[in-house]
Amino acid sequence: MRTIQTEVLVIGGGATGTGVIADLALRGFRCALVEKRDLAHGTTGRYHGLLHSGGRYAVKDPKAATECIEENVILRRIMPHCIEDTGGFFVVTPWDDDAFGDRFMQGCRDTAVPCEEISIPHMLREEPHLNPGISRCFRVPDGSADSFLATQSVAALAQAHGAQILHYYEVKQLIRQGDRVVGALCYDLVKDEEVAVHADLVVNAAGAWAGKIAHTAEVEVNVRAGKGTMIAASYRIVNTVVNRCKMPADGDIIVPVHTVSIIGTTDEGVPDPEHFAIEPWEVQLMMQEAAKIVPGWHDLRMLRCWGGVRPLYQETKVADTRDVTRAYTLLDHETRDGVAGFITITGGKWTTYRQMAQVTVDRVCEKLGTARPCTTHETVVPNPFEQGHGRQHHNLGQRLADVEKEEAFGQLICECELATRADVEHAITQGEAKTIDDVRRDVRVGMGPCQGGFCTYRVAAIWHELKKPSIEETNVTLRDFLQERWKGLMPILWGPQLKQERLDELIYLSVLNADHLPGPRASRLGPAMYEPGTVWESDHAHV
Amino acid sequence: MTNDVLVIGAGLAGLTTAWQASLHGKGVRVIAKGWGATHWHAGCVDVLGYWPMESETPVANPAATLPDLLAANPQHPYALVGLARLAAALDGLQQLCSDAGYPLVGSLDKNWRLPTAVGAARPTCLAPATMIAGNLDDHAPMLLVGFKQLPDFYANVAADNLAQQGIPARHVALDLPALAGRNFTTAVNLARFMQQSDFRAAVVQAVKPHLGEAARVGFPAVLGLEEATAVHQDLQAQLGRPVFEIPGLPPSVAGMRLHRILKSAIEKNGGRVYDGMEAIGFAADGGRVTAVYTETSGRPRQHRYDRVVLATGGILGGGIVTNHAGEVGEVVFNLPLRHPENRLEWFRRDFLDKQGHPIYRSGVSVNENFQPMNGRVVYQNLFAAGNTLAGFEAIRERSFDGVALATGFVVGNLVGN
Ligand SMILES: Cc1cc2nc3c(=O)[nH]c(=O)nc-3n(C[C@H](O)[C@H](O)[C@H](O)COP(=O)(O)OP(=O)(O)OC[C@H]3O[C@@H](n4cnc5c(N)ncnc54)[C@H](O)[C@@H]3O)c2cc1C
Repeated sequence: MRTIQTEVLVIGGGATGTGVIADLALRGFRCALVEKRDLAHGTTGRYHGLLHSGGRYAVKDPKAATECIEENVILRRIMPHCIEDTGGFFVVTPWDDDAFGDRFMQGCRDTAVPCEEISIPHMLREEPHLNPGISRCFRVPDGSADSFLATQSVAALAQAHGAQILHYYEVKQLIRQGDRVVGALCYDLVKDEEVAVHADLVVNAAGAWAGKIAHTAEVEVNVRAGKGTMIAASYRIVNTVVNRCKMPADGDIIVPVHTVSIIGTTDEGVPDPEHFAIEPWEVQLMMQEAAKIVPGWHDLRMLRCWGGVRPLYQETKVADTRDVTRAYTLLDHETRDGVAGFITITGGKWTTYRQMAQVTVDRVCEKLGTARPCTTHETVVPNPFEQGHGRQHHNLGQRLADVEKEEAFGQLICECELATRADVEHAITQGEAKTIDDVRRDVRVGMGPCQGGFCTYRVAAIWHELKKPSIEETNVTLRDFLQERWKGLMPILWGPQLKQERLDELIYLSVLNADHLPGPRASRLGPAMYEPGTVWESDHAHV
Repeated sequence: MTNDVLVIGAGLAGLTTAWQASLHGKGVRVIAKGWGATHWHAGCVDVLGYWPMESETPVANPAATLPDLLAANPQHPYALVGLARLAAALDGLQQLCSDAGYPLVGSLDKNWRLPTAVGAARPTCLAPATMIAGNLDDHAPMLLVGFKQLPDFYANVAADNLAQQGIPARHVALDLPALAGRNFTTAVNLARFMQQSDFRAAVVQAVKPHLGEAARVGFPAVLGLEEATAVHQDLQAQLGRPVFEIPGLPPSVAGMRLHRILKSAIEKNGGRVYDGMEAIGFAADGGRVTAVYTETSGRPRQHRYDRVVLATGGILGGGIVTNHAGEVGEVVFNLPLRHPENRLEWFRRDFLDKQGHPIYRSGVSVNENFQPMNGRVVYQNLFAAGNTLAGFEAIRERSFDGVALATGFVVGNLVGN
């Protein structure tokens, strides 16, 4: 069996894991990260897109609010290319209690979250689609954040400082010698082989999967998975993050992210962080709640729906997952369970990933008997796409300007997201892409209104040309991506998007006959499918 | 011109209806929101490609297999059409296209297996002569030619898949000086270029060094629009071997040719075809449709015709719409529909599911005269044709064009008589 030796092994390539590895690398540790899929495959790539100001927790969870605003300020400074300064509103709609506004203001004051009340005409001037029945509006420094780009950037920073990042490495089993964890047995999905990674210390940053990982070393960590469902509508119907001003509940935030507006979320306990259904009642609930903030929301074109799982750590059983604290949890298994060489960091928010990484690596230093100060709060995270090949999101307008400047219209591979052939080639040859879905995370192909209708074929052909895999591998890569897109479409297919999807069927089945190409129908790198939802009516008293 | 027949929808079904009705000397008007699926599809006539739908091998002989389909699905639109009228519809279209100098080759008792832009074998019944040399029952080696500037067709995947299936195939992507630095290179654009002889000469010159063993040469379906046959023949002559077209991503140049031919046949017979006219409502009296309204910039415009044909397509064409609450509706007449009762039954787990997603079978139920039914005839003078009809899975069966053509043909004759 192949083996890898390192000083610190990090499990999980989400915001937390990449944050930890970057911090480790900056402090001079030899380190490696294993992620079972692509970076941001987990909750980080399926979140709501909100850089919290802390406003959401100002009343309910002041500790979390303070953490958020501290990190909000830092992240804006160290990764400006990942953050759009949309600002945020907290609005009191006709369904909410007017008086909560005062509690909200007080909460913000107590937690140092900047907040000012603005007039309704002023609000409507800035966001004319908001419900004119809104009675109060507060402005806070929320933002919109691109977690794909952020995760990649942080990982690239780690690599630049010597860290090793291993994609498509799934931890099967922690390696335990007596009272110590000494590494992890991994499965390389691409090469289809087992690899042993040995380390002095293992950091478990597997988010909602952290309990499963710990369990393989016979350490019990009770992490529940709380599923949240979000829906992206095809337009930026708002340019500001809009939160309902009330106690946090379902479907009370709309976040503008790139070209779309996202409504979310629900919060439901699920038995498995990987396999769950998006239930029709959740979709209905999101639609209904969004329309309270933006009347006419139902008439927008829904693009896609997805679920992310919150890692909810608990030492005791709690009935409603939203009541579990959002603040993060660091577990030192040597003191907690008598198992040395093993730390778990879970919970928290995307917004607080850096702080979580900092306390984790502080603990690593302690364990390894060295004192090295953290510098991540003052280290600017470069945009890995900036050198040489100039173009990367952050906004569609910039992409359009580039395309126009280079007169690259004919080479638009994804017209919806304005991804050019050069972008796609770069992602395939320079990046770590193992599937078309990985290319999507890099350059946003397939994320616009047609959801891959045109670009799937094109990317598959460029993939085939540059990677030179066997033709059967290319065929299954194409089919995997079609299935991946379908997964997030099925729950919200109606109206124009259903029509679009039928066109995609016409193209891929009838014109191309891709369902009768040689090779397997799906591969192990393809999407983990959830079953179609079955519950139309909610018996949950959510609203 | 009398106001005899109003056809709503300008896809293959609507245009075929209007063309047939106009042959009977009727005054015909076609109104459509936009063009139909002819502009997206392959430009062939698929009658029945896979049956049973889960079969891995395509139907070899549609005429022989259709009775099985009808036995299994007696509600299928083909059951109302019948084999004889289906054959007549194919003949009719073949005659029309051949008169227009753009022959469609094939017959109901044989499916072609033609290469797709990913190199799968595509079963189809009638194909333009410009595509026939791609026949995959013939194992002669081929060269597939793409254009660097055309992102809607890549020859590499197609060639490698064909080679995998036992057909020697190589590929080349041309980078012609005439296209270098161009902003827009769509299939339609290339088709226009192809009609210029100096552009063709440049293509031939660029292809020749790559010919090698190739006994035939495949191009994306961009070999001319109005002058496709001449372009095709000229390339064959210059390259000294058979040339064929392969349909790529929409828009479909080959589909546009069929559309043009049908439209001019209607116009030649005095009919009129208008796009950009969306039907938004109607008036009825005494069990008859008395008027159809279309949207204009001022007030809705009224169309009063003796007979009205609904050919707005299914979910793809926009004739059937759905919403978040799980409602399924017909857009113009709010006709009763057959559709899955419950939104939970709309879809299956896999995009490529062999049976297809039940929602796409939604449509209008009609009697043997293609009149929409709700227990009884809804409106005496209203008919429906094409993919608006209920109870079949056009894409999984590969019957998309066949149903549109055959039902349009039958309805056109019904309303024309
Ligand atoms: C619905 C929802 C919306 C949210 N919205 C926001 C928001 O708007 N703003 C905000 O700040 N926060 C938000 N959060 C919280 C935030 O997204 C998460 O706290 C954060 O992304 C967690 O990151 P992580 O790295 O800990 O976990 P993850 O991103 O889940 O990373 C864990 C990684 O471990 C990998 N892994 C699992 N098992 C193995 C194994 N065996 N071997 C190797 N790798 C493995 C997984 O593939 C995954 O990539 C939201 C959370 C949810 C659920």
